Amino acid sequence: MIEAKGLSRRFGEVVAVDNLSLRVPDGTILALLGPNGAGKTTTVRLLSGLLAPSGGEATVAGYDVRRDAAAVRAHIGLVTDVPGLHEQMTVPAYLDFFGSLYGLPNAMRARRIDELLTFFDLDTHRAERMVGFSKGMKQKVSLARALLHQPAALFLDEPTSGLDPLAARAVRELIVSMKHDSRSIILCTHDLDEAERLADQVAIVRQGRLVACDSPAALRAQGSPDSIVQVALAAPCPTALEVLSRIDGVLEPEAPSPLLLEYHVHRPLEVNPRVMEQLIAAGARIVSATCTTRTLEDIYADVMTSARSVDGADSGREMVVAAAGEGRRAG
Amino acid sequence: MAASAIPMQRAGSFTPPGDLRSIWLIARRAALESLHDRTTQGASAIFSLLVPIILVLTMIRPQAMHTGSKADTALGLLMAVYLLVVGLLPTSNSISVASGLFAGEKEQGNLAPLLATPASNRAIFGGKVLGAVLPSLLYAVVAVSTYLLEIALFVGTGKLHLLPLGLSLAMLALVPIYAVFGAAVASLISSRVRTYQGAQTLASVVMFPLMAVLFGVAFAMQHWGIWWLGIAVLVLVGIDVLIVTLGAATWRREEVLARR
Repeated sequence: MIEAKGLSRRFGEVVAVDNLSLRVPDGTILALLGPNGAGKTTTVRLLSGLLAPSGGEATVAGYDVRRDAAAVRAHIGLVTDVPGLHEQMTVPAYLDFFGSLYGLPNAMRARRIDELLTFFDLDTHRAERMVGFSKGMKQKVSLARALLHQPAALFLDEPTSGLDPLAARAVRELIVSMKHDSRSIILCTHDLDEAERLADQVAIVRQGRLVACDSPAALRAQGSPDSIVQVALAAPCPTALEVLSRIDGVLEPEAPSPLLLEYHVHRPLEVNPRVMEQLIAAGARIVSATCTTRTLEDIYADVMTSARSVDGADSGREMVVAAAGEGRRAG
Repeated sequence: MAASAIPMQRAGSFTPPGDLRSIWLIARRAALESLHDRTTQGASAIFSLLVPIILVLTMIRPQAMHTGSKADTALGLLMAVYLLVVGLLPTSNSISVASGLFAGEKEQGNLAPLLATPASNRAIFGGKVLGAVLPSLLYAVVAVSTYLLEIALFVGTGKLHLLPLGLSLAMLALVPIYAVFGAAVASLISSRVRTYQGAQTLASVVMFPLMAVLFGVAFAMQHWGIWWLGIAVLVLVGIDVLIVTLGAATWRREEVLARR
Protein backbone atom coordinates (compact mmCIF):
# COMPACT_ATOMS: atom_id res chain seq x y z
CA MET A 1 0.00 0.00 0.00
CA ILE A 2 1.20 3.46 -0.90
CA GLU A 3 -0.61 6.32 0.75
CA ALA A 4 0.05 10.06 0.76
CA LYS A 5 -1.89 12.75 2.54
CA GLY A 6 -1.31 16.40 1.81
CA LEU A 7 2.22 15.70 0.60
CA SER A 8 4.17 18.82 -0.32
CA ARG A 9 7.69 19.67 -1.36
CA ARG A 10 9.20 23.07 -1.88
CA PHE A 11 12.54 23.95 -3.45
CA GLY A 12 13.05 27.47 -2.22
CA GLU A 13 10.18 29.47 -3.67
CA VAL A 14 9.21 26.72 -6.11
CA VAL A 15 6.42 24.40 -5.02
CA ALA A 16 7.19 21.12 -6.79
CA VAL A 17 4.49 19.06 -5.08
CA ASP A 18 1.50 20.78 -3.55
CA ASN A 19 -0.84 19.09 -1.06
CA LEU A 20 -0.95 15.84 -2.97
CA SER A 21 -3.02 12.95 -1.66
CA LEU A 22 -3.31 9.54 -3.19
CA ARG A 23 -3.82 5.95 -2.22
CA VAL A 24 -2.52 2.90 -4.06
CA PRO A 25 -3.79 -0.28 -2.41
CA ASP A 26 -1.90 -3.57 -2.73
CA GLY A 27 -2.47 -5.16 -6.10
CA THR A 28 -3.13 -1.83 -7.80
CA ILE A 29 -1.36 0.17 -10.46
CA LEU A 30 -1.59 3.94 -10.41
CA ALA A 31 -0.44 5.78 -13.51
CA LEU A 32 0.97 9.20 -12.74
CA LEU A 33 0.48 11.45 -15.73
CA GLY A 34 1.46 15.02 -16.33
CA PRO A 35 3.61 17.26 -18.49
CA ASN A 36 7.36 17.54 -17.94
CA GLY A 37 8.06 19.43 -14.74
CA ALA A 38 4.61 18.68 -13.32
CA GLY A 39 6.09 17.08 -10.19
CA LYS A 40 5.86 13.39 -11.04
CA THR A 41 9.53 12.64 -10.40
CA THR A 42 9.53 14.68 -7.19
CA THR A 43 6.44 12.78 -6.03
CA VAL A 44 8.18 9.47 -6.68
CA ARG A 45 11.30 10.67 -4.86
CA LEU A 46 9.23 11.74 -1.87
CA LEU A 47 7.44 8.41 -1.74
CA SER A 48 10.63 6.41 -2.17
CA GLY A 49 12.45 8.10 0.70
CA LEU A 50 14.90 9.99 -1.50
CA LEU A 51 13.56 13.42 -0.63
CA ALA A 52 12.14 14.65 2.62
CA PRO A 53 8.66 16.15 2.33
CA SER A 54 8.17 19.80 3.26
CA GLY A 55 4.69 18.96 4.48
CA GLY A 56 2.13 16.20 4.71
CA GLU A 57 2.71 12.54 5.34
CA ALA A 58 3.09 9.33 3.41
CA THR A 59 3.49 5.64 4.10
CA VAL A 60 4.84 2.96 1.78
CA ALA A 61 4.46 -0.74 2.60
CA GLY A 62 3.43 0.35 6.08
CA TYR A 63 6.49 2.49 6.73
CA ASP A 64 6.48 6.24 7.20
CA VAL A 65 8.63 8.03 4.61
CA ARG A 66 9.85 10.54 7.21
CA ARG A 67 10.50 8.33 10.22
CA ASP A 68 11.36 5.00 8.53
CA ALA A 69 12.91 6.14 5.28
CA ALA A 70 15.48 3.31 5.34
CA ALA A 71 12.72 0.71 5.76
CA VAL A 72 10.78 2.35 2.94
CA ARG A 73 13.83 2.11 0.69
CA ALA A 74 14.33 -1.55 1.61
CA HIS A 75 10.79 -2.34 0.45
CA ILE A 76 10.62 -0.45 -2.82
CA GLY A 77 11.98 -0.92 -6.30
CA LEU A 78 12.76 2.17 -8.32
CA VAL A 79 13.20 2.56 -12.04
CA THR A 80 14.30 6.12 -12.77
CA ASP A 81 13.63 8.07 -15.95
CA VAL A 82 17.18 7.31 -17.15
CA PRO A 83 18.64 3.81 -16.61
CA GLY A 84 21.47 5.26 -14.49
CA LEU A 85 23.84 2.32 -14.66
CA HIS A 86 27.52 2.04 -13.80
CA GLU A 87 28.38 1.21 -17.35
CA GLN A 88 31.90 -0.07 -16.80
CA MET A 89 30.43 -3.02 -14.91
CA THR A 90 28.95 -6.24 -16.26
CA VAL A 91 25.28 -6.92 -15.58
CA PRO A 92 25.86 -9.73 -13.03
CA ALA A 93 28.40 -7.61 -11.13
CA TYR A 94 26.06 -4.64 -11.16
CA LEU A 95 23.08 -6.65 -9.92
CA ASP A 96 25.28 -8.40 -7.36
CA PHE A 97 26.33 -5.00 -6.00
CA PHE A 98 22.73 -3.88 -5.51
CA GLY A 99 21.65 -7.31 -4.26
CA SER A 100 24.36 -7.10 -1.60
CA LEU A 101 23.22 -3.64 -0.53
CA TYR A 102 19.65 -4.94 -0.18
CA GLY A 103 20.98 -7.78 1.96
CA LEU A 104 20.04 -10.70 -0.26
CA PRO A 105 21.84 -13.83 0.92
CA ASN A 106 24.53 -15.11 -1.47
CA ALA A 107 22.66 -18.13 -2.83
CA MET A 108 19.40 -16.25 -3.32
CA ARG A 109 21.26 -13.33 -4.92
CA ALA A 110 22.91 -15.62 -7.46
CA ARG A 111 19.58 -17.33 -8.21
CA ARG A 112 17.69 -14.07 -8.60
CA ILE A 113 20.38 -12.67 -10.92
CA ASP A 114 20.17 -15.80 -13.08
CA GLU A 115 16.36 -15.60 -13.19
CA LEU A 116 16.35 -11.95 -14.11
CA LEU A 117 19.06 -12.30 -16.76
CA THR A 118 17.08 -15.12 -18.35
CA PHE A 119 13.81 -13.23 -18.13
CA PHE A 120 15.22 -10.11 -19.72
CA ASP A 121 17.15 -12.02 -22.42
CA LEU A 122 20.44 -10.72 -21.07
CA ASP A 123 21.96 -14.15 -20.50
CA THR A 124 24.21 -13.95 -23.53
CA HIS A 125 25.55 -10.55 -22.43
CA ARG A 126 26.76 -11.68 -19.00
CA ALA A 127 30.41 -11.01 -19.67
CA GLU A 128 29.96 -7.70 -21.48
CA ARG A 129 30.34 -4.29 -19.92
CA MET A 130 27.15 -2.29 -20.09
CA VAL A 131 28.84 0.65 -21.81
CA GLY A 132 28.11 -0.94 -25.20
CA PHE A 133 24.47 -1.76 -24.45
CA SER A 134 21.54 -0.30 -26.38
CA LYS A 135 19.04 1.91 -24.57
CA GLY A 136 16.58 -0.97 -24.41
CA MET A 137 19.14 -3.31 -22.85
CA LYS A 138 20.03 -0.68 -20.28
CA GLN A 139 16.36 -0.26 -19.48
CA LYS A 140 16.10 -4.01 -18.92
CA VAL A 141 19.03 -3.91 -16.50
CA SER A 142 17.39 -1.03 -14.67
CA LEU A 143 14.18 -3.06 -14.35
CA ALA A 144 16.12 -6.11 -13.19
CA ARG A 145 17.76 -3.98 -10.49
CA ALA A 146 14.36 -2.76 -9.29
CA LEU A 147 12.95 -6.30 -9.11
CA LEU A 148 15.99 -7.96 -7.58
CA HIS A 149 14.81 -7.85 -3.96
CA GLN A 150 11.14 -8.53 -4.77
CA PRO A 151 9.88 -5.23 -3.39
CA ALA A 152 6.39 -4.65 -2.04
CA ALA A 153 6.03 -1.36 -3.89
CA LEU A 154 7.38 -0.33 -7.25
CA PHE A 155 7.98 3.10 -8.72
CA LEU A 156 8.45 2.84 -12.44
CA ASP A 157 9.36 5.96 -14.39
CA GLU A 158 8.86 5.27 -18.11
CA PRO A 159 9.68 1.55 -17.74
CA THR A 160 9.08 0.67 -21.40
CA SER A 161 10.94 3.66 -22.79
CA GLY A 162 13.45 2.53 -25.38
CA LEU A 163 12.26 -1.07 -25.49
CA ASP A 164 11.31 -2.81 -28.71
CA PRO A 165 7.59 -3.69 -29.02
CA LEU A 166 7.99 -7.30 -27.89
CA ALA A 167 10.17 -6.41 -24.92
CA ALA A 168 7.78 -3.60 -24.01
CA ARG A 169 4.87 -6.02 -24.11
CA ALA A 170 6.72 -8.49 -21.90
CA VAL A 171 7.51 -5.73 -19.39
CA ARG A 172 3.84 -4.70 -19.36
CA GLU A 173 2.88 -8.32 -18.72
CA LEU A 174 5.44 -8.43 -15.94
CA ILE A 175 4.00 -5.27 -14.39
CA VAL A 176 0.52 -6.78 -14.48
CA SER A 177 1.80 -10.04 -12.97
CA MET A 178 3.42 -8.07 -10.14
CA LYS A 179 0.14 -6.27 -9.58
CA HIS A 180 -1.61 -9.64 -9.32
CA ASP A 181 1.00 -10.57 -6.75
CA SER A 182 -0.39 -7.80 -4.50
CA ARG A 183 2.29 -5.24 -5.15
CA SER A 184 1.50 -1.53 -5.21
CA ILE A 185 2.82 0.09 -8.34
CA ILE A 186 3.17 3.71 -9.38
CA LEU A 187 3.83 4.08 -13.06
CA CYS A 188 4.99 7.43 -14.44
CA THR A 189 4.45 7.52 -18.16
CA HIS A 190 3.79 9.78 -21.09
CA ASP A 191 2.33 6.82 -22.98
CA LEU A 192 -1.38 7.33 -22.35
CA ASP A 193 -2.29 4.13 -24.14
CA GLU A 194 0.02 2.21 -21.79
CA ALA A 195 -1.54 3.97 -18.80
CA GLU A 196 -5.03 3.13 -20.00
CA ARG A 197 -4.14 -0.51 -20.54
CA LEU A 198 -2.28 -1.09 -17.28
CA ALA A 199 -3.58 1.29 -14.67
CA ASP A 200 -6.41 0.78 -12.24
CA GLN A 201 -6.21 4.43 -11.36
CA VAL A 202 -4.91 7.40 -13.27
CA ALA A 203 -3.63 10.46 -11.44
CA ILE A 204 -3.03 13.58 -13.48
CA VAL A 205 -0.60 16.05 -11.97
CA ARG A 206 -0.09 19.63 -13.05
CA GLN A 207 2.24 22.14 -11.41
CA GLY A 208 2.61 19.80 -8.45
CA ARG A 209 -1.10 19.47 -7.87
CA LEU A 210 -3.34 16.52 -8.42
CA VAL A 211 -5.95 17.69 -10.89
CA ALA A 212 -7.67 14.34 -11.45
CA CYS A 213 -7.50 10.87 -9.97
CA ASP A 214 -9.81 8.04 -10.86
CA SER A 215 -10.10 4.88 -12.86
CA PRO A 216 -9.60 5.42 -16.61
CA ALA A 217 -13.24 4.52 -17.26
CA ALA A 218 -14.55 6.85 -14.56
CA LEU A 219 -12.35 9.65 -15.86
CA ARG A 220 -13.75 9.16 -19.31
CA ALA A 221 -17.25 9.25 -17.90
CA GLN A 222 -16.49 12.40 -15.89
CA GLY A 223 -15.49 14.39 -18.96
CA SER A 224 -18.26 13.68 -21.41
CA PRO A 225 -20.26 10.46 -21.63
CA ASP A 226 -20.70 10.80 -25.37
CA SER A 227 -19.58 8.47 -28.06
CA ILE A 228 -19.50 9.96 -31.53
CA VAL A 229 -20.99 7.87 -34.32
CA GLN A 230 -20.20 8.48 -37.96
CA VAL A 231 -22.22 6.75 -40.66
CA ALA A 232 -20.83 6.77 -44.19
CA LEU A 233 -23.37 6.42 -47.00
CA ALA A 234 -22.93 5.10 -50.54
CA ALA A 235 -25.43 7.66 -51.89
CA PRO A 236 -27.18 10.72 -50.44
CA CYS A 237 -30.31 9.94 -48.40
CA PRO A 238 -32.49 13.09 -48.10
CA THR A 239 -34.58 11.79 -45.17
CA ALA A 240 -31.68 10.39 -43.12
CA LEU A 241 -31.21 13.44 -40.89
CA GLU A 242 -34.95 13.60 -40.16
CA VAL A 243 -34.94 9.89 -39.28
CA LEU A 244 -32.00 10.38 -36.92
CA SER A 245 -33.60 13.32 -35.14
CA ARG A 246 -36.71 11.23 -34.37
CA ILE A 247 -34.79 8.40 -32.66
CA ASP A 248 -34.72 8.58 -28.86
CA GLY A 249 -31.13 8.73 -27.58
CA VAL A 250 -29.59 10.28 -30.69
CA LEU A 251 -28.00 13.61 -29.79
CA GLU A 252 -26.89 16.46 -32.04
CA PRO A 253 -27.47 14.70 -35.37
CA GLU A 254 -25.88 16.41 -38.35
CA ALA A 255 -24.74 15.74 -41.88
CA PRO A 256 -21.27 17.21 -42.41
CA SER A 257 -21.50 16.12 -46.04
CA PRO A 258 -24.20 14.47 -48.24
CA LEU A 259 -22.48 11.10 -47.73
CA LEU A 260 -21.77 11.38 -44.02
CA LEU A 261 -23.99 11.44 -40.96
CA GLU A 262 -22.81 12.15 -37.46
CA TYR A 263 -24.44 12.04 -34.04
CA HIS A 264 -23.58 11.73 -30.35
CA VAL A 265 -24.94 8.99 -28.15
CA HIS A 266 -24.79 8.13 -24.43
CA ARG A 267 -25.81 4.46 -24.79
CA PRO A 268 -24.38 3.17 -28.05
CA LEU A 269 -25.20 -0.47 -27.32
CA GLU A 270 -28.86 0.35 -27.09
CA VAL A 271 -29.27 3.15 -29.60
CA ASN A 272 -26.98 2.26 -32.51
CA PRO A 273 -28.80 -0.94 -33.64
CA ARG A 274 -32.07 1.03 -33.81
CA VAL A 275 -30.37 3.78 -35.79
CA MET A 276 -29.04 1.30 -38.34
CA GLU A 277 -32.41 -0.44 -38.69
CA GLN A 278 -34.30 2.80 -39.26
CA LEU A 279 -31.75 4.26 -41.64
CA ILE A 280 -31.87 1.12 -43.77
CA ALA A 281 -35.69 1.22 -43.63
CA ALA A 282 -35.50 4.83 -44.86
CA GLY A 283 -33.49 3.67 -47.88
CA ALA A 284 -30.03 4.66 -46.70
CA ARG A 285 -27.23 2.53 -48.20
CA ILE A 286 -24.73 2.28 -45.34
CA VAL A 287 -21.08 1.74 -46.22
CA SER A 288 -19.71 1.83 -42.67
CA ALA A 289 -20.51 2.98 -39.14
CA THR A 290 -17.86 4.04 -36.66
CA CYS A 291 -18.47 4.57 -32.95
CA THR A 292 -15.62 6.47 -31.27
CA THR A 293 -15.28 6.68 -27.52
CA ARG A 294 -13.17 9.37 -25.87
CA THR A 295 -9.69 8.18 -25.09
CA LEU A 296 -7.57 8.87 -22.05
CA GLU A 297 -5.66 11.27 -24.27
CA ASP A 298 -8.84 13.31 -24.79
CA ILE A 299 -9.49 13.30 -21.05
CA TYR A 300 -5.89 14.27 -20.33
CA ALA A 301 -6.12 17.19 -22.77
CA ASP A 302 -9.44 18.28 -21.24
CA VAL A 303 -8.11 18.08 -17.69
CA MET A 304 -5.00 20.03 -18.60
CA THR A 305 -7.03 22.71 -20.36
CA SER A 306 -9.53 23.08 -17.54
CA ALA A 307 -6.75 23.05 -14.93
CA ARG A 308 -5.14 25.97 -16.70
CA SER A 309 -8.39 27.92 -16.60
CA VAL A 310 -8.94 27.41 -12.87
CA ASP A 311 -5.31 27.92 -11.80
CA GLY A 312 -5.06 30.01 -8.73
CA ALA A 313 -8.61 29.32 -7.60
CA ASP A 314 -7.94 25.79 -6.45
CA SER A 315 -5.55 24.97 -3.63
CA GLY A 316 -5.19 21.28 -4.34
CA ARG A 317 -7.66 18.52 -4.13
CA GLU A 318 -7.86 15.15 -2.59
CA MET A 319 -9.45 12.62 -4.80
CA VAL A 320 -10.17 9.06 -4.00
CA VAL A 321 -10.67 6.13 -6.25
CA ALA A 322 -14.18 5.94 -7.56
CA ALA A 323 -15.91 2.77 -8.55
CA ALA A 324 -14.73 1.85 -11.98
CA GLY A 325 -17.37 2.47 -14.59
CA GLU A 326 -17.70 0.38 -17.67
CA GLY A 327 -15.15 1.50 -20.22
CA ARG A 328 -16.07 2.17 -23.76
CA ARG A 329 -13.71 1.69 -26.62
CA ALA A 330 -13.59 2.66 -30.20
CA GLY A 331 -15.46 0.19 -32.34
CA MET B 1 10.96 -12.62 -22.44
CA ALA B 2 7.75 -13.83 -20.82
CA ALA B 3 6.15 -12.77 -17.58
CA SER B 4 5.60 -16.36 -16.52
CA ALA B 5 9.32 -17.08 -16.74
CA ILE B 6 10.17 -15.13 -13.62
CA PRO B 7 9.01 -16.24 -10.20
CA MET B 8 7.72 -13.17 -8.43
CA GLN B 9 6.72 -14.53 -5.06
CA ARG B 10 7.04 -11.95 -2.37
CA ALA B 11 10.12 -12.60 -0.31
CA GLY B 12 10.39 -11.80 3.33
CA SER B 13 12.26 -8.69 4.33
CA PHE B 14 15.97 -8.96 3.85
CA THR B 15 18.30 -7.55 6.45
CA PRO B 16 20.48 -4.92 4.79
CA PRO B 17 24.18 -5.13 5.67
CA GLY B 18 25.67 -2.98 8.43
CA ASP B 19 27.45 0.28 7.76
CA LEU B 20 30.96 -1.18 7.52
CA ARG B 21 29.92 -3.82 5.01
CA SER B 22 27.97 -1.23 2.99
CA ILE B 23 30.95 1.13 3.05
CA TRP B 24 33.14 -1.62 1.69
CA LEU B 25 30.64 -2.61 -1.03
CA ILE B 26 30.21 0.99 -2.19
CA ALA B 27 33.96 1.71 -2.01
CA ARG B 28 34.90 -1.45 -3.90
CA ARG B 29 32.48 -0.68 -6.72
CA ALA B 30 33.66 2.94 -7.01
CA ALA B 31 37.32 1.92 -6.85
CA LEU B 32 36.93 -0.75 -9.52
CA GLU B 33 35.12 1.69 -11.79
CA SER B 34 37.87 4.24 -11.29
CA LEU B 35 40.55 1.63 -12.00
CA HIS B 36 38.76 0.66 -15.23
CA ASP B 37 38.44 4.25 -16.43
CA ARG B 38 40.79 4.86 -19.35
CA THR B 39 41.34 8.57 -18.63
CA THR B 40 42.25 7.84 -15.03
CA GLN B 41 44.51 5.00 -16.15
CA GLY B 42 46.35 7.32 -18.56
CA ALA B 43 46.81 10.14 -16.07
CA SER B 44 47.84 7.73 -13.34
CA ALA B 45 50.37 6.01 -15.60
CA ILE B 46 51.99 9.37 -16.28
CA PHE B 47 52.04 10.29 -12.58
CA SER B 48 53.10 6.86 -11.37
CA LEU B 49 55.69 5.91 -13.98
CA LEU B 50 56.81 8.88 -16.03
CA VAL B 51 57.03 11.65 -13.43
CA PRO B 52 59.28 9.65 -11.05
CA ILE B 53 61.75 8.98 -13.89
CA ILE B 54 61.83 12.66 -14.86
CA LEU B 55 62.36 13.73 -11.24
CA VAL B 56 65.10 11.22 -10.64
CA LEU B 57 66.95 12.10 -13.84
CA THR B 58 66.57 15.88 -13.66
CA MET B 59 66.60 16.63 -9.92
CA ILE B 60 68.05 13.76 -7.88
CA ARG B 61 70.82 12.53 -10.17
CA PRO B 62 72.50 15.94 -10.68
CA GLN B 63 72.50 16.51 -6.90
CA ALA B 64 74.01 13.05 -6.42
CA MET B 65 77.03 14.13 -8.50
CA HIS B 66 78.13 16.39 -5.64
CA THR B 67 80.27 14.82 -2.97
CA GLY B 68 80.78 15.53 0.67
CA SER B 69 78.71 15.20 3.82
CA LYS B 70 76.79 18.45 3.23
CA ALA B 71 75.93 17.29 -0.29
CA ASP B 72 74.81 13.89 1.05
CA THR B 73 72.57 15.56 3.64
CA ALA B 74 71.07 17.82 0.96
CA LEU B 75 70.53 14.81 -1.30
CA GLY B 76 68.80 12.90 1.51
CA LEU B 77 66.47 15.84 2.21
CA LEU B 78 65.81 16.32 -1.51
CA MET B 79 64.95 12.64 -1.98
CA ALA B 80 62.62 12.76 1.03
CA VAL B 81 60.78 15.87 -0.17
CA TYR B 82 60.37 14.44 -3.65
CA LEU B 83 59.00 11.31 -2.00
CA LEU B 84 56.06 13.52 -1.02
CA VAL B 85 55.79 15.07 -4.50
CA VAL B 86 55.82 11.68 -6.18
CA GLY B 87 53.19 10.31 -3.80
CA LEU B 88 50.95 13.35 -3.95
CA LEU B 89 50.60 13.64 -7.71
CA PRO B 90 48.61 10.42 -8.20
CA THR B 91 46.48 11.20 -5.14
CA SER B 92 45.35 14.46 -6.72
CA ASN B 93 43.26 12.12 -8.84
CA SER B 94 41.21 11.23 -5.77
CA ILE B 95 39.95 14.82 -5.68
CA SER B 96 38.86 14.59 -9.29
CA VAL B 97 37.17 11.24 -8.67
CA ALA B 98 35.50 12.49 -5.51
CA SER B 99 34.23 15.58 -7.34
CA GLY B 100 32.36 13.30 -9.69
CA LEU B 101 30.96 11.08 -6.98
CA PHE B 102 27.79 12.99 -6.27
CA ALA B 103 27.52 15.86 -8.74
CA GLY B 104 28.83 13.79 -11.67
CA GLU B 105 26.74 10.73 -10.90
CA LYS B 106 23.71 12.92 -10.38
CA GLU B 107 24.29 14.43 -13.82
CA GLN B 108 24.55 10.96 -15.33
CA GLY B 109 21.49 9.73 -13.46
CA ASN B 110 23.23 6.82 -11.72
CA LEU B 111 23.15 8.28 -8.22
CA ALA B 112 19.42 7.84 -7.56
CA PRO B 113 19.48 4.00 -7.64
CA LEU B 114 22.18 3.97 -4.95
CA LEU B 115 20.35 6.56 -2.86
CA ALA B 116 17.21 4.41 -3.16
CA THR B 117 18.90 1.49 -1.38
CA PRO B 118 18.62 0.98 2.37
CA ALA B 119 22.31 1.91 2.82
CA SER B 120 22.64 4.65 5.45
CA ASN B 121 23.86 8.17 4.72
CA ARG B 122 27.04 7.38 6.67
CA ALA B 123 27.68 4.27 4.59
CA ILE B 124 27.16 6.07 1.29
CA PHE B 125 29.40 9.00 2.21
CA GLY B 126 32.07 6.79 3.75
CA GLY B 127 31.97 4.35 0.84
CA LYS B 128 32.26 7.13 -1.71
CA VAL B 129 35.26 8.72 0.04
CA LEU B 130 37.01 5.40 0.47
CA GLY B 131 36.24 4.48 -3.12
CA ALA B 132 37.91 7.68 -4.31
CA VAL B 133 40.94 7.23 -2.07
CA LEU B 134 41.76 3.55 -2.66
CA PRO B 135 42.73 3.73 -6.37
CA SER B 136 44.75 6.88 -5.75
CA LEU B 137 46.66 5.22 -2.94
CA LEU B 138 47.31 2.23 -5.15
CA TYR B 139 48.78 4.50 -7.82
CA ALA B 140 50.72 6.37 -5.11
CA VAL B 141 52.27 3.08 -3.94
CA VAL B 142 53.25 2.34 -7.55
CA ALA B 143 54.68 5.85 -7.94
CA VAL B 144 56.73 5.72 -4.73
CA SER B 145 58.00 2.22 -5.56
CA THR B 146 58.96 3.38 -9.07
CA TYR B 147 60.72 6.43 -7.61
CA LEU B 148 62.76 4.40 -5.14
CA LEU B 149 63.57 1.77 -7.76
CA GLU B 150 64.75 4.41 -10.21
CA ILE B 151 66.93 6.05 -7.57
CA ALA B 152 68.51 2.64 -7.02
CA LEU B 153 68.93 2.15 -10.78
CA PHE B 154 70.05 5.60 -11.92
CA VAL B 155 71.69 7.05 -8.80
CA GLY B 156 72.83 3.99 -6.91
CA THR B 157 71.48 1.69 -4.23
CA GLY B 158 73.85 3.17 -1.69
CA LYS B 159 72.22 6.61 -1.99
CA LEU B 160 68.93 5.22 -0.64
CA HIS B 161 70.60 5.01 2.77
CA LEU B 162 70.83 8.80 2.77
CA LEU B 163 67.05 9.09 3.10
CA PRO B 164 66.35 10.40 6.65
CA LEU B 165 64.05 7.75 8.15
CA GLY B 166 61.78 9.96 10.26
CA LEU B 167 61.28 12.60 7.60
CA SER B 168 60.73 9.98 4.88
CA LEU B 169 58.08 8.20 6.93
CA ALA B 170 56.42 11.55 7.67
CA MET B 171 56.40 12.37 3.94
CA LEU B 172 54.87 8.99 3.17
CA ALA B 173 52.25 9.50 5.87
CA LEU B 174 51.28 12.87 4.36
CA VAL B 175 50.24 11.13 1.13
CA PRO B 176 47.19 9.21 2.47
CA ILE B 177 46.44 12.08 4.86
CA TYR B 178 46.15 14.47 1.92
CA ALA B 179 44.25 11.92 -0.21
CA VAL B 180 41.63 11.31 2.47
CA PHE B 181 41.32 15.00 3.26
CA GLY B 182 41.01 15.94 -0.41
CA ALA B 183 38.48 13.20 -1.14
CA ALA B 184 36.36 14.10 1.88
CA VAL B 185 36.36 17.82 1.07
CA ALA B 186 35.69 17.17 -2.63
CA SER B 187 32.86 14.75 -1.73
CA LEU B 188 31.25 17.31 0.52
CA ILE B 189 31.54 19.96 -2.18
CA SER B 190 30.30 17.51 -4.80
CA SER B 191 27.17 16.75 -2.81
CA ARG B 192 26.39 20.44 -2.46
CA VAL B 193 26.73 21.65 -6.02
CA ARG B 194 24.75 20.84 -9.12
CA THR B 195 27.38 19.98 -11.73
CA TYR B 196 30.56 17.95 -11.94
CA GLN B 197 32.31 20.96 -13.47
CA GLY B 198 31.25 23.12 -10.56
CA ALA B 199 32.40 20.51 -8.06
CA GLN B 200 35.84 20.21 -9.68
CA THR B 201 36.35 23.95 -9.89
CA LEU B 202 35.33 24.54 -6.30
CA ALA B 203 37.36 21.58 -5.04
CA SER B 204 40.44 22.88 -6.86
CA VAL B 205 39.97 26.35 -5.39
CA VAL B 206 39.81 24.85 -1.91
CA MET B 207 42.52 22.23 -2.33
CA PHE B 208 45.30 24.21 -4.00
CA PRO B 209 45.89 26.50 -1.00
CA LEU B 210 45.77 23.45 1.23
CA MET B 211 48.36 21.74 -0.94
CA ALA B 212 50.55 24.81 -0.58
CA VAL B 213 50.13 24.67 3.19
CA LEU B 214 51.00 20.97 3.11
CA PHE B 215 54.21 21.62 1.20
CA GLY B 216 55.03 24.41 3.65
CA VAL B 217 54.59 21.95 6.51
CA ALA B 218 56.67 19.37 4.64
CA PHE B 219 59.55 21.80 4.17
CA ALA B 220 59.35 22.86 7.80
CA MET B 221 59.44 19.20 8.82
CA GLN B 222 63.02 18.95 7.54
CA HIS B 223 64.11 20.74 10.67
CA TRP B 224 61.90 18.89 13.13
CA GLY B 225 62.95 16.04 15.33
CA ILE B 226 61.36 12.62 15.24
CA TRP B 227 58.91 13.43 18.07
CA TRP B 228 57.64 16.60 16.46
CA LEU B 229 57.26 14.75 13.18
CA GLY B 230 55.20 12.09 14.92
CA ILE B 231 53.03 14.67 16.67
CA ALA B 232 52.50 16.58 13.41
CA VAL B 233 51.42 13.42 11.61
CA LEU B 234 49.04 12.51 14.44
CA VAL B 235 47.50 16.01 14.38
CA LEU B 236 46.97 15.75 10.60
CA VAL B 237 45.43 12.27 10.97
CA GLY B 238 43.15 13.73 13.63
CA ILE B 239 42.06 16.48 11.22
CA ASP B 240 41.31 13.79 8.62
CA VAL B 241 39.24 11.77 11.08
CA LEU B 242 37.41 14.92 12.12
CA ILE B 243 36.52 15.98 8.58
CA VAL B 244 35.42 12.49 7.50
CA THR B 245 33.36 12.06 10.68
CA LEU B 246 31.78 15.49 10.28
CA GLY B 247 31.11 14.81 6.63
CA ALA B 248 29.52 11.44 7.34
CA ALA B 249 27.45 12.89 10.16
CA THR B 250 26.15 15.88 8.22
CA TRP B 251 25.78 14.46 4.72
CA ARG B 252 22.14 13.87 3.78
CA ARG B 253 21.01 12.03 0.67
CA GLU B 254 17.84 14.16 0.67
CA GLU B 255 19.94 17.27 0.16
CA VAL B 256 21.79 15.83 -2.82
CA LEU B 257 18.67 15.41 -4.91
CA ALA B 258 17.14 18.58 -3.55
CA ARG B 259 19.80 20.64 -5.37
CA ARG B 260 18.13 21.87 -8.56
